[in-house]
Amino acid sequence: VNASPDRRSFLRHAAAALCGGTLAAPRAADGSGRVRQVPARARSVIWLHMEGAPPTLDMFDRKPELDRWHGRKCPDAFLQRERFAFIKGHPLLLGHPHGWLRARNGIEVCELFPHLAQQLDGVTLVRSMVTDQFNHAPAELLLLSGAPRPGRPSFGGWLSFGLGSENGDLPAFVVMLSGGNQPSAGSALWGAGFLPSVHQGCEFRSAGDPVLYLQDPAGYDRARRARALAALGDLDREHEAAVGDPETTTRIAQRELAYRMQQSVPEAVDLRQEPAEVHALYGTKPGETSLANNCLLARRLVERGVRCVQLFDSGWDIHGTGPHDDLLTQFPRKAAELDRALAALLIDLQRRGLLDETLVVWGGEFGRTPMNEARDGSTFLGRDHHPHCYSMLLAGAGTARGAVVGATDEFGYRTTETPIHVHDLQATVLHLLGLDHERLTWRFQGRDFRLTDVHGRVRRELLA
Amino acid sequence: VVAAALLASAVAQSGPGHWADQPFAVAAPAAVGTTNPAPIDTFVAAGARAVGLALAPPAARATWLRRVALDLTGLPPTPAEVAAFVADGDPGASRRAVDHLLARPAAAERWTQWWLDLARYADSQGYEKDDLRPQMWRWRDWVLDAFARDLPFDRFTIEQLAGDLLPDATDETRLATAFHRQTMTNTEGGTDDEEFRTAALVDRVDTTMSVWMAATIGCAQCHDHKYDPLSQKEFFQVYAFFDQTADADRPDDAPTLRVPTRAQQARTKVLERERTELRARRQVDDATLQAWSEAQLARQQTFAAAAVQAGTWHVLGPVAAADFHTAHVTPFAPERDGVRLDGEQEGQTWRAEPDWVDGKVHGWRGDTSAFYLHRTFVAAGEAEAVLALGSDDALKVWWNGAELLAKEIGRPAAPAQELVPVVVRAGRNEVLLKVTNGGWPGGFCFELRATALAETATAALGPWATRDDTSREFLRAEYLATAPELAAVRERLAAVEAELVQNRGPAVPVLQELPPPARRTTRVHLRGNFLNPGEVVTPATPACWPPLPTDAPRDRLGFARWLVSADNPRTARVVANRIWSELFGAGLVTTLEDFGRQGEAPSHPALLDWLAGEFVRSGWSLRQLLRTIVLSEAYGRSTAAAQAMREIDPDNRWLARGPSFRLAAETLRDQALAVSGLLAPQVGGPSVMPPQPAGIWRQLYSGARWQDATGDDRHRRSLYTFWRRTSPHPAMLVLDAQSREACVLRRQRTNTPLQALVLWNDPQFHEAAQALAVNLVTATDGADDGDRVRWLWRQCLLREPSPTELQRLTALVAAERSHFAAEPAAAEALAGAGAELAAWTVAAGVVLNLDEFVTKP
Repeated sequence: VNASPDRRSFLRHAAAALCGGTLAAPRAADGSGRVRQVPARARSVIWLHMEGAPPTLDMFDRKPELDRWHGRKCPDAFLQRERFAFIKGHPLLLGHPHGWLRARNGIEVCELFPHLAQQLDGVTLVRSMVTDQFNHAPAELLLLSGAPRPGRPSFGGWLSFGLGSENGDLPAFVVMLSGGNQPSAGSALWGAGFLPSVHQGCEFRSAGDPVLYLQDPAGYDRARRARALAALGDLDREHEAAVGDPETTTRIAQRELAYRMQQSVPEAVDLRQEPAEVHALYGTKPGETSLANNCLLARRLVERGVRCVQLFDSGWDIHGTGPHDDLLTQFPRKAAELDRALAALLIDLQRRGLLDETLVVWGGEFGRTPMNEARDGSTFLGRDHHPHCYSMLLAGAGTARGAVVGATDEFGYRTTETPIHVHDLQATVLHLLGLDHERLTWRFQGRDFRLTDVHGRVRRELLA
Repeated sequence: VVAAALLASAVAQSGPGHWADQPFAVAAPAAVGTTNPAPIDTFVAAGARAVGLALAPPAARATWLRRVALDLTGLPPTPAEVAAFVADGDPGASRRAVDHLLARPAAAERWTQWWLDLARYADSQGYEKDDLRPQMWRWRDWVLDAFARDLPFDRFTIEQLAGDLLPDATDETRLATAFHRQTMTNTEGGTDDEEFRTAALVDRVDTTMSVWMAATIGCAQCHDHKYDPLSQKEFFQVYAFFDQTADADRPDDAPTLRVPTRAQQARTKVLERERTELRARRQVDDATLQAWSEAQLARQQTFAAAAVQAGTWHVLGPVAAADFHTAHVTPFAPERDGVRLDGEQEGQTWRAEPDWVDGKVHGWRGDTSAFYLHRTFVAAGEAEAVLALGSDDALKVWWNGAELLAKEIGRPAAPAQELVPVVVRAGRNEVLLKVTNGGWPGGFCFELRATALAETATAALGPWATRDDTSREFLRAEYLATAPELAAVRERLAAVEAELVQNRGPAVPVLQELPPPARRTTRVHLRGNFLNPGEVVTPATPACWPPLPTDAPRDRLGFARWLVSADNPRTARVVANRIWSELFGAGLVTTLEDFGRQGEAPSHPALLDWLAGEFVRSGWSLRQLLRTIVLSEAYGRSTAAAQAMREIDPDNRWLARGPSFRLAAETLRDQALAVSGLLAPQVGGPSVMPPQPAGIWRQLYSGARWQDATGDDRHRRSLYTFWRRTSPHPAMLVLDAQSREACVLRRQRTNTPLQALVLWNDPQFHEAAQALAVNLVTATDGADDGDRVRWLWRQCLLREPSPTELQRLTALVAAERSHFAAEPAAAEALAGAGAELAAWTVAAGVVLNLDEFVTKP
């Protein structure tokens, strides 16, 4: 490869353009470019989204009154001017079906999470999350793109646009799925919306190529690809000399980057490189599709400079219409998958010194009702969608360790203290990453758009 | 800086009214000494000269033809077409070439592709389930047909927005209104239909105003517009035009309309003739009918004489298994060991169900579980009979110990889903049923009948002489429906009927006005929230634009006519600007989507006015507009430019050089298929599924599957690729296609490593390289490497290679040839052949990836 000094410096810049970076991305509409706007506490973020909305009431927000009134009709006040997704008539209150443990800092945690309980003194527990939407797809979009309908850039897309990548050979924004299903709102949850498409999340897949089209057709090896590339580059450079279009230069550079990525991505996702002790910690098995594998992959990616890793784990929609979504059967299955994996991720990040610069966010798109749903007279146990309150966890980089923020009423129906709207969460997360949610904007169809729409404020309660 | 100053002065000159809404300026600047002072070039030359740019020379003729063919048809010309054109010295050659290109079906396909982004066309409903709308292609074919006959754009507009309300409405104009049924439908459990009907209406208002007026009226949904004179009330006055349609976010997308294609109409005529012939052959004479009827009667009497006494039902279950199939096939105790009503089997006891009634469905719960049902019958004599059974879901039947039926099926139970003939013997008989439930409630239904006859025929039975005409007709109908000797006729008739139903055309969602008593009252949604209704509004156009004529209807038709009326110059400006942008890569107004005060001002206001005026004067002919633009000197210039010229005008806003940019996603694939000879020429029809990586479609609660097409459907134009909103074809997305969840007014053009991976590694592009190499080696049998490289260059780039290009590719081929000779397995894997073809396949892959190949020349 012809590498004059100019060309080398060009390629350094070009490197940032992989799935989000300086070259291909225009400057922010406010002219700030991609410099941080406020001091950053976090370099990267790992966001674990539990698709379907976990029953956080039964995980982190124990309500003795709910147990006491179990099986009785819920207060009339719960039903006035309310819309439910599935509940009909006058529903009955549903007590906690599982027992409780106490974490070191005194927080009560569901007994299905013994590993996570050990880590809660390093985590911010928010018990007063609030959203506006009570159907999955709109609520997921509101949480992760700031608006309840498709078309806006996703959180990770904004980060890629605002901060770019720190590793030229890997995407700035990586998405991984587990649990067997795609999230309700689909790929709009990691889309670029109206931002340049280079900012869309790059899905790493657990079967086949980790990145689509990464693998050369059969019959190519690295050397043959390199020879073909060299010829292609020479021919393009001759054309470039005749026409003078700078896009040609970019195209040559992006091709070389793609070639490097064919090596760097498989290396980054190769869990066989991890020692047995790490696999024992996470409960990972190379080659499987699991939340545990994705947690370990997330650590490997942030370690290599990926800006945003978004995990989606499906199967949390605990309605109680059958054994597949029952509080007594499905919820413990999901709990077992989550408990060890999330605890291991926190331990692993901590001991590698990554937790100080990595923000971990865990949660779902809304809460679940304190009432039993009993759809069509179902005798399985489960809870309906509930936007008024739910719990999320934050850990790492600049968050308040061991703090409990907010509270809900005696049945866990509404917040009573410090409600944190999802737009506030977005503003605060951006703040931790060094971005001002009011200044990270993009002009589209006559208006400056931002992740927090026209809402949101940075909530100091969540910060260290 | 100069450019910016000129733009600023253009804005300042726009006077008190906003430029976009002023009548067209008529004056054209004086010619500035170009050889062909067509109006476009007069305007462009003036602009370029003002910023100190030298105009580039014309592109080579071959380059021009490749450019214009890719722009007008989305496909490259053939080497033969290029050779003929280059050799044609006639001054009218360019115009003739353009006319030929515009008349091709490929041109209609290319401009339909353009319109589909604006129409947010998709083959699915969007949102959570994103269920398929496999019938939407019928509307896409309407658009194809409209472009093929150059339907004037004003009429094109009116038919799509209000084709159902036209005084001369036809099924075709009603079909056109599916434009606004491209909005998403939310079938997620527990959603409020009114919320998503409202969302669809807001989308219709936004899309209409963006596509035709480049007005960002969506800003006024929640509050008065910050920059343009549009109030929230005015937003809802426009909304009111659209608020009276019958659709309401229903899962079946009602109301729908079936409009057969021309091919379907022709086929229907043929089928109707065959149906008439078949019906004539499906006859029975009276003697045969009488004999059959009396045999049935005798059988009924024998059954009655047997006086069958039924016992009580006993049921055992649910017996759960890991999954539905296992539950159905596993022989649990009752079928393994025989029924033991008084003992435990599978850890359960048999329950008596004395209240169960024959002919009614009885239900239970238990996922992936088997239920056994047992009953005895005592008969006085032997008789033939039929078990009429229903089951939810799978069913097995034993009669007197013999297994008579096993059917693994999923369905809700209903009477007589299965008819099982049995012989009732004198004395004791027993039936054992196994009903296996997949999920949700399960159940069964049972009846013991004398015959398999339908109820009407059973009632009509009796001694033949006493039967009246009505009874005989019922019996005749039953005979014709069941007699084995007529089976072949019945089967063919059923196939014909089924194909006739198919040929009615797919049920396409359309706009349909509510009848007056059902009309809605439209209110302002305070802060944009439909649950928070405010003031009542009636249909009206915003005050900043010309009013609706006083005699115009206050409905969609009045509104659509207003959009394309002579009083409204904005629509023609917006459309002319979009077309310009398709050809030059950027509009004269770069903000295609915003002609408001926050949008960019036009770089060449007089040129835009002239084009828009020509467009209207030509009778809104898109074809004429395209012809005018591509025949200009500005369009035909070389794209090569010196660094100094690029620095003055990096984005080519002053048009001193030719337009050049990476081809669109669909064009890239279509071009690769075309030059490699793979492209299938079929126009229109249902959307197809060319190969994509496994596991792309993973929607929750949806059984829809992507099945890689076989045969020609692998290689149809990308326009026809099935478009599912939550997971469109990934290669197209990487190349900047949009998901079409909302109207896309301007695609981004990015340049990323993932695009390089698609162009190398997507099996579709690799297949193209393989096919190209095979064609090359066949076409140049015995030629030397140099001639083969020349063939590749002519085939793909439509020019001769330079000596260095020739040398470089020849060197690659020589190297690969010797490497492959040492690695025959690699050659076999790459090309399915030996070293020679494998080496040329690598070379073909290089050419298909050349910057020049993927860029508009």
